[in-house]
Amino acid sequence: MINKKHLIVIDLILVVGSLFVVAGLVGYSRPLVIFPIDNLETTNSSVLFTFENGEKILIDDNLEFSSPLIIEVKENIVVTLKPEIYYWKIDNGVGVSQIRKLTIESEIDLRLKKSGIGEDYEVVNAGNTLLEVDIYEDEELTGSVVLGIDESVDVYGDRLIGGQYE
Amino acid sequence: MNKGLLILIFVILLSSNVLALGITPGRSNFDYSSGTQKEVEFSVINSEKKDSNMVVLVQGELNASISVSEVSFQMSASESEKKLKYILNMPVGLSPGLHTAEVVVIQLPGKSETSEAFIGSAIGVTTQIHVFVPYPGKYVEADLNVIGSDSDGEVTFVIPVMSRGELGIKNVKAKIDIYGPLNKKIESVDTDEFSLESQERRELVATWKSDVDPGPYRAVATVIYDENTAKVEKNFNLGVALLELEEIEVNDFSLGEIAKFELLVENKWSQTIAGAYAQMLIYNNDGEVIADFKSATYDIPPLEKALVIAFWDTAGVRKGTYASSVFLKYSQESVQKDFQLEVSDNQINVVGLGYVISKGGKSSGGDNSLTIILVTAIVMLVIINLIWFLVLRKKLAKKR
Repeated sequence: MINKKHLIVIDLILVVGSLFVVAGLVGYSRPLVIFPIDNLETTNSSVLFTFENGEKILIDDNLEFSSPLIIEVKENIVVTLKPEIYYWKIDNGVGVSQIRKLTIESEIDLRLKKSGIGEDYEVVNAGNTLLEVDIYEDEELTGSVVLGIDESVDVYGDRLIGGQYE
Repeated sequence: MNKGLLILIFVILLSSNVLALGITPGRSNFDYSSGTQKEVEFSVINSEKKDSNMVVLVQGELNASISVSEVSFQMSASESEKKLKYILNMPVGLSPGLHTAEVVVIQLPGKSETSEAFIGSAIGVTTQIHVFVPYPGKYVEADLNVIGSDSDGEVTFVIPVMSRGELGIKNVKAKIDIYGPLNKKIESVDTDEFSLESQERRELVATWKSDVDPGPYRAVATVIYDENTAKVEKNFNLGVALLELEEIEVNDFSLGEIAKFELLVENKWSQTIAGAYAQMLIYNNDGEVIADFKSATYDIPPLEKALVIAFWDTAGVRKGTYASSVFLKYSQESVQKDFQLEVSDNQINVVGLGYVISKGGKSSGGDNSLTIILVTAIVMLVIINLIWFLVLRKKLAKKR
């Protein structure tokens, strides 16, 4: 025979069980960010974002996400970013993940090899930012060129100095 | 042996066929604080991994305020990078605006390793130092970025605003005038507005439903901050032809044989895109290209998907993970996607390509499967609770 005590026990089981199920569902449905780790600083501008339960990556240069780059994804993705400080999070329509910070440091990488043309050299921008190369001859600045990422050009000079452009 | 010949031999001995040098960061920005000192670490990267002699110089307007930890050093082939420091002593009484200096690391030509070609030039790389001194009163620097249009034809204007004055700004907003191909104003939109502290950076945002013909347009933004204004403008195109890479698959693969890459490409343009092709680059761990191959050319009908095929000969390729880039090339355009290839004995997995549905614009609400599951489960729990408390419990209590 069911008495009042039994009813109260069933009430409790139902209410507490429901709360646990809701908490579990909300926890399970929350996106989980895996990589990049928080506060990662790198010079590699192609970043692999890995996560679970995500549908959108939001990347912005401010914590307010006022004008985010939104990439709707079905799986992990490599995103190429300019050198800057970024904040990113994952959204799945139900909830959003924690916000992580990612810094892409600018890297200047100047490569020079003998060109096939006369006394010229081929200068290559192997870094991750626009590169301005000042060309000197006999200690005098004779010109400069601006190279995009992975871009190369033939130049003539005895000293070449590369720095970030703009 | 005469002196000229000796110099020639010396130059040849001090020359090599390739020079490479890196430095990071490329630039460090500082807000001016008179009389303070900043110690900054930077790394010199031995990109070519060879023995090198380096000298360090400081040049530019602030050169007298900067001292470096080493003025010359050597790097061995086994050293991939060397960490150095400079100390910046902020001078007293700098005028408002930008002040700069550069720490230059110069690699002197090293010993010859091959004799085919020689480089007698020196190369150098710089890490730049930018010091911003606030302007008196209120001063805003602004830029204008145009994103889109997206699939709904919505264009987003983003105006990063930086308060460069000594005083904060109570209210900053912008009005954006949009001019058509014939330079006739077709619409104006207003951004949001907010206050801005001194040296703070935020973004003004406005959207525009671009119900207009494809073509070149111009946006002129007037940024209004308290009683002052600043103007920025940008040209942009609407309705640009666009190819989008959706998937890459490699089926029936055996390491050492030819891999067939099937790239699913969508033409998002309302006209046929003719002569489109894919170029794939595969890199080793040092970032060097180990494979560069192209597909045939394809004519992709409007708003349709096409399978673009490219072949990679994997003879001599080892198992492992390789960084890779694919370029979809058409007309004067080139769309790049980066990803990784996991190469095993009989499989190539494409990792990190994802499936980009949209980029930019505002985040839409989520009516996705996860939401449906969650809502369904909660509704079921509510129903179970209601049935228990309103029906079953009462019945059982009555019986009792």
